[in-house]
Amino acid sequence: MRVLLIEDEQRLAENIVAALRETGLAVDHAADGETGSDFAEQDVYDAIVLDLMLPGKSGQKVLRDLRQARHHTPVLILTAQVGKESIIELLNAGADDYVSKPFDLGELLARVKALIRRAKGVSTPVLTVSDVELNTIHQTVSRGGRAVDLSPTEYRILEYLIHRPRAIVSKQELLEHLYDFDWEHHSNVIEAHVSNLRRKLNISGTEPLIETLRHRGYRLQGEVVA
Amino acid sequence: MKRFHSITRRLVVSVLLLELLAAMALISAITLHERRIQLKAFDATLMGTAQSLMGAVQDAEDQDDNVMLDMRGLQLGKDAIYRVEDEHGRVLGSAGSVPVLETAFSPEPIFRNVRVTDRSYRFVVLHGTRVIDPGMPNGGVQHEITILYGTPVGRVWHEVFDAIRFFVIVTLVLLGVTAIAMAWMIRRGLSPIHELARAANLINSSDWDFDSPPGAKTTAELAPLAMALEAALARLKRSFQQQRRFTSDAAHELKTDVAIVKSSLQLLSMRRRTVEEYSRGLSLSLNDFTRLEMTVEKMLTLARLEQPVESVGSGIASPSCSLQDVVEELVYQSKPLAELKAISLCTRASSDARVPVGRSDALLLCSNLLSNAIQHSPHEGTVWIALAVDGQMAQLTIRDQGDGIAEEDRPYLFEPFYRGDPSRSRKSGGTGLGLSICKAICERAGGSIEIMNSSAGGALVTVMLPALQSSEEPATTASLKAK
Repeated sequence: MRVLLIEDEQRLAENIVAALRETGLAVDHAADGETGSDFAEQDVYDAIVLDLMLPGKSGQKVLRDLRQARHHTPVLILTAQVGKESIIELLNAGADDYVSKPFDLGELLARVKALIRRAKGVSTPVLTVSDVELNTIHQTVSRGGRAVDLSPTEYRILEYLIHRPRAIVSKQELLEHLYDFDWEHHSNVIEAHVSNLRRKLNISGTEPLIETLRHRGYRLQGEVVA
Repeated sequence: MKRFHSITRRLVVSVLLLELLAAMALISAITLHERRIQLKAFDATLMGTAQSLMGAVQDAEDQDDNVMLDMRGLQLGKDAIYRVEDEHGRVLGSAGSVPVLETAFSPEPIFRNVRVTDRSYRFVVLHGTRVIDPGMPNGGVQHEITILYGTPVGRVWHEVFDAIRFFVIVTLVLLGVTAIAMAWMIRRGLSPIHELARAANLINSSDWDFDSPPGAKTTAELAPLAMALEAALARLKRSFQQQRRFTSDAAHELKTDVAIVKSSLQLLSMRRRTVEEYSRGLSLSLNDFTRLEMTVEKMLTLARLEQPVESVGSGIASPSCSLQDVVEELVYQSKPLAELKAISLCTRASSDARVPVGRSDALLLCSNLLSNAIQHSPHEGTVWIALAVDGQMAQLTIRDQGDGIAEEDRPYLFEPFYRGDPSRSRKSGGTGLGLSICKAICERAGGSIEIMNSSAGGALVTVMLPALQSSEEPATTASLKAK
């Protein structure tokens, strides 16, 4: 999952980026409204954390422009303003949630994750597909009751695939949603990770979970039970 | 309940009182006049009856040519008292108890007021000559007749009262009508005041809009009050809004700083980390915390400086310092900062001046301005600092070679937290309180501060502070030493 943070306050941005990355999300950071808008409109993000007071272009404007361009990425607002009116206005303008400064970092992370989940049509943090269970809070995976040890990237690939069951997910899409600009990446890397992931999940006596469609991408078999 | 002074009541009572006095004077005059007329009429009646009595004195047809009183066909007034005498004192006729009156001869009739049996009577004493048998050769016999005739005078007063009763009733009716009409008219006339009060009553802290009702604006007596109210409210509204903006900006500022500190610590505690990570995290958190501390400190400084100055007569000598000393010290202190950007500081002080600013405040003022100038200067630029005394004022100017200031920012430069950027981006550092603090220091000392773009490019800050007279110097120096 890839998150965009638009926040001009350098130190705050550093902290939020670090925290989001530690929970297994890829994060891009824009320090002003213009850049933020440009990033957001690439439509590769699974959630956007948006500060309101931004140089160049206000957070409200960024949000409005994003919704006008028919991008439905969930947006969480960071605000230092108090007053119900502005919150109502923001939610009506297309924001999905807000936290007011000074916020609790854990709460911010939980809300971002909840937003991502909701946007994918899932309501609980534990996802199940056939006999595979994925816990998004502890970032653990088990199959048939037995824990499966995945690397962070493998986990993220699985998480993304579980969020898009039975859809064909291209390598490009995986790249866009799993890596931020700070990462060196290459489509071959994805292949290697998927191959590893498939091997780790392949416990004897079970059917293969991830199907590879040549030149098209990957598809997750089975029904997701949220 | 507290009793109010009512303008309406006071006006009505005053007018009624005046009206009453006027009516009383008028009634008195009418009474006097009426009494005079009635008395004249009374006297005329008295006289007429007396003459009738005189006419009733007839020849007695006797040998001695005596006279007698023939009362036939004579109408006398009610309760009339009379006595008719001839020259010999012979009473020809009388009625009632005739009082003793001076009846000495006089050619004119004499009127007298006498009390008879507790009643006021008015008498006329008439002397007349009655000639008996005037056809006789000797010319007849002359009788000197004295007539005393009086009637109760009460009748006159009765007539007078009858006449004035009408006036009294009319006056009372008029007074009543006036009272009602005045009360109504004054209430109507005062209605703009009530309107004004109603409009003023609608003001509260969230709704400062006050438009005085047209009735109050067009009333000559109320217009100044209405205008003063409007002006005062406009001023209040402005300062209230400023205060509110300051509070909201300060809250934003503090919340952001707190959010940074909090997130730094929470990030650190998200999972177990290495000692190096902890130590790096702690030092970052400490930096974040220092920034929060600075913000708070500057806010407190600004709050202190914006407090009204203690009265001069409080006995404590107001602090002062030498502006030149301060500038020299700051230039010395700022050297390292300036050298970082290879900026040269060029000082020119033509004369020194003592200014009524505490040394620490003066240092704060100058360091804020100087660090601003250095911050906005290009690499290898020059900052000029000049100090001059012009009569009563000391003038400090600081000029840099930066980009100067945007025209649209000029009105807001001294507003707290204004950073020439709607986002209040803090990349340039500082809390946005520096210039507000400078302005507060200058204004507290009775001076001023101004920023403009110099003709040579770059910003030019001009600080004007009142220069203390040299005669005050020994005293202030002594007090400073005493500290």
